[in-house]
Amino acid sequence: MRIGLDLKPGDDTALVARGEALFTRGDIRARADDLSAAITERGVSRVLVRSDDSALILEAIDACDRAGADLFIAHTTIAQDRIDAICAEHGIGLVLNGERDWRSATPSPSESRIYMMTSGTTGMPKVAAHSLQSLLAKAKAGVKRRPDQGGRWVLTYQPTGFAGIQVSLTAALWGGLLITPAERTMSGFYHVSRHWNGTHISGTPTFWRSFLMVADPAQLSLQQITLGGEAADQPTLDRIRKAFPDTRVTHTYASTEAGVVYAVHDGLEGFPAAWLEAAPSGVALRIKDGFLQIKTPNMMSGYLSAASQPLLDDGWLATADLVELAGDRVKVLGRDDNTINVGGSKVYPLPVEALILKQDGVIEARVYGQPNPVTGALVAADVVLEDGADEKAARKAILIACREALPAYSVPRSLNFVDKIAVSAANKKG
Amino acid sequence: MTEDQIYAAIVEIISQTLDDKGLDVPEITPETEVLGDELGIDSLDLATLVSELEKKIGFDPFAKGFIEFKTVGELTKLYVR
Repeated sequence: MRIGLDLKPGDDTALVARGEALFTRGDIRARADDLSAAITERGVSRVLVRSDDSALILEAIDACDRAGADLFIAHTTIAQDRIDAICAEHGIGLVLNGERDWRSATPSPSESRIYMMTSGTTGMPKVAAHSLQSLLAKAKAGVKRRPDQGGRWVLTYQPTGFAGIQVSLTAALWGGLLITPAERTMSGFYHVSRHWNGTHISGTPTFWRSFLMVADPAQLSLQQITLGGEAADQPTLDRIRKAFPDTRVTHTYASTEAGVVYAVHDGLEGFPAAWLEAAPSGVALRIKDGFLQIKTPNMMSGYLSAASQPLLDDGWLATADLVELAGDRVKVLGRDDNTINVGGSKVYPLPVEALILKQDGVIEARVYGQPNPVTGALVAADVVLEDGADEKAARKAILIACREALPAYSVPRSLNFVDKIAVSAANKKG
Repeated sequence: MTEDQIYAAIVEIISQTLDDKGLDVPEITPETEVLGDELGIDSLDLATLVSELEKKIGFDPFAKGFIEFKTVGELTKLYVR
């Protein structure tokens, strides 16, 4: 059976809270009706939304679904010229970012697909295609327990990212409330969680480590705590358990390509080794050369550009996550590629190196992850300068350039000036 | 480093961070909450603060895992040996 967001006209059930403002299902339905009519009238087949406003994103999802249009969901950090390039490349006829920005585009065949993107701040973002039906099916299947129906979900993830969209769809599908802060700071999250009596919070381990520093657990009425985006470590799981002894704690493993692969509820890091034989929900897991490989029923429909997780010939998805079998548990050790995971946000070193190399006096640069107790890792850079170059001036120029072009989590937090950078036999730095 | 010196180093780094972000630097006391409303410090800034303190003081109290603290004063105490 075809499922949709099922927003009914005039329904005064609250759907999105932003700061202290509230939007009902009927409000969003009315706005989506208007948008859907405009899309149909103009003959637009592809729409792009670029906003952190969850009410607008849900309006766009509902409108495009009913108008049969494809929807591209873009992060607000993607620069305008790249948005223009994406629109031209994919025949997008409408950009929503608070206003309706109509563009001339040749209509292309559309099937209510949802396209999500990587951050792409220093290159063209990668675009992954999902069918709304499969996203909704996943959101529907993700809620098995009655207390989760009608939950009040605090949205801590980026509203335009895969995890953010999953939480938004889950709240919408199950008659719940999606709680978003006026300001995305720890006290902002704590304030709205208390104000709207949040029952469900899903966030990265980094989010939780920071949230516990501002939150008084007794002031919250949480029923479900979920950790995702990074491997959940035992100390963080233990701290959450101590702060919220009566709340269900779950950690998940998900990827843009495969969606949520598994969810663990026993408060222990990793997952049970028995799942290598039989994992829940039709998922299959195996370890190949130390790497986790996965197979799920709800694989995404395909990438428009190169995938970050290659699909193998036998239908398995190869991840870059190194795992270790330890007794009856499989533990996730971390990623064995160059990606740096800063509090759940992925940073690719190459574009950051390229940006540093553009600065005056810089002859070589290596960007890498430095372990950090708060965010798991921070971006660090080793930089070689020309003889006689002014270190202080170079530091300033590099930081200014990075802060202008990159999201905050990608900016090197530690800059070291060195005489040379070691190059391995394979001509790889570091 | 003495407790006073560590405290001064923390205040200096926080002030510099806020200044870099173009935010006003309020009066910081030992009771100021690091991630509280008064300061515009986020997780990333906190991660950077901890990393800079390790460089400056030469040891990392979080080496064996994160330790909970709320205020600037509590953070200072973690570095006193």
